[in-house]
Amino acid sequence: MVHKDMTEKVSIEIKRDLYDKAKKFIEEQGGFSSVEELVEFLLEEVLSSEESEERGLSKEDEEKVKERLRALGYI
Amino acid sequence: MLGLDSLPPSVLYEDMDGGGFTYIRRLIEEGQKWLMRTCHPPITVPAWMVMFTGKTPGELGIYGFRHRRPGEFDYYIVNSSFIKTPTLWDDAGKKGLKVGVYGVPPTYPPRLVHGFMVTDFTTPGPDKPYTFPPWLRRELESRTGPTVFDIVYRSHDKDRVARDLFHMLENHLRQVEYLATRKQWDLFVYVEISVDRAHHAFWKYFDKNHPRYEYHPMYSSVIPKVYKRIDEWFEKLHRRLPKDTIIVVASDHGVKPMKGAFTINQWLIEQGYLKLKEDTTTLKPGTDLRRDLIDWEHTIAWAWGGYYSRVFINLKGREKQGAVDPKYYEETLRQLKRDLERIRGPNGERWDNKAYTPQELYPEVRGDAPDLMVYLDDLWWRPAGTIGWQTNYLPENDRGPDDAVHDWLGVLAVYDLEDTLPKGFMGEIRAEKVKEFIEQLIYQ
Repeated sequence: MVHKDMTEKVSIEIKRDLYDKAKKFIEEQGGFSSVEELVEFLLEEVLSSEESEERGLSKEDEEKVKERLRALGYI
Repeated sequence: MLGLDSLPPSVLYEDMDGGGFTYIRRLIEEGQKWLMRTCHPPITVPAWMVMFTGKTPGELGIYGFRHRRPGEFDYYIVNSSFIKTPTLWDDAGKKGLKVGVYGVPPTYPPRLVHGFMVTDFTTPGPDKPYTFPPWLRRELESRTGPTVFDIVYRSHDKDRVARDLFHMLENHLRQVEYLATRKQWDLFVYVEISVDRAHHAFWKYFDKNHPRYEYHPMYSSVIPKVYKRIDEWFEKLHRRLPKDTIIVVASDHGVKPMKGAFTINQWLIEQGYLKLKEDTTTLKPGTDLRRDLIDWEHTIAWAWGGYYSRVFINLKGREKQGAVDPKYYEETLRQLKRDLERIRGPNGERWDNKAYTPQELYPEVRGDAPDLMVYLDDLWWRPAGTIGWQTNYLPENDRGPDDAVHDWLGVLAVYDLEDTLPKGFMGEIRAEKVKEFIEQLIYQ
């Protein structure tokens, strides 16, 4: 099995004013050491559910929805 | 785009709104009016997604909330991950537009959009991540209170239903107003489910043509009050939007009085298509058809109830205890179709029944489609899947009180202050053409 190099980096371009805002935030508030780290974190956050193998409803959630639809008289 | 789930043309175009939609109707009078011909089946899931993807239910592989995998008896529920086609807002986002999506079924779990999304009434609960971006949930709740996804509306406690209904509506209106006025967007799609819930719970107190019409000092005013509240809210919001905002008002299907429910599985038993292991007269009225009740060796077909009926053939090689040889499959379908279409009403009156194979309805049939899709008396009678009843004709729904069934025509109306569109009544538009139509409005 071939493993992707998880440390390999690529460059992307973002608007200057957005970059400056993020940089200012980090300098004043901390939390992240760089704009790159903040961007990576945010992308991981919003993509985590999208890339999950089981995107959709867990068994438990499906049962909850079934129960609600039953109570609503749909099924 | 203001989506009013199950709003029929008679309400928006023909004065049947009880005085509720004063502002919206005035706008529409200066705009364009279409009759929106909904999809097969005419139900919320899949109708909105047909409108927003431009694909038929067959192409989407979505035939309702629930589906059955071949060979299984139990069902599973569809969710947003079943929608494999880009939606109106996916394509708009790709073109650089910022989008807002609120309450469109089924959008749970929420997906990444170029803007924001709040999911719909199929969300398992308010404790789930139901927004995009994920942190929008906290922001929204801190400003508007906990999100209400749905109410239990099939109940005899109508006072409570009315209270819950207005509570949910206010919750949605507050949230949408917050999002529409505080966030950046070029396209905002909002579907309000309260309209549908009000119709199902209170239609017999509202529609004087309902066979069980009853005037009630409080209940008869619920539906017009729901319309009025949305209308006043929308007028206020509209005045705060940029002047050149195009307004689209749409519904996913219409609504009409429910004449009664017909016990489709009891009928299949009488006709010899379905055989139970025990005498049906020993069963309690409203018993669910369970796998263990069926004598599979002697069963040809069984059915699901709902706003339409899905019939499954007990096909050998596909079902666990299949009894119908594949070489007789087509013949069995033809015979069953003929028999279903011959079902008559309680007084022997002729019904306008239709039974279709999915292949007859769609250019492509994906997912877990039933063998037959059945509409009784042009939807006036609701198919009931439960058994153990004394009669095949029930005055009420088998799953709790419900005053309304769905109808084929919904609405699609457009108001554009810039006056770029021809005005007046334009005829019919099919559900799967709505996406293209809205894209023409956006990118004209």
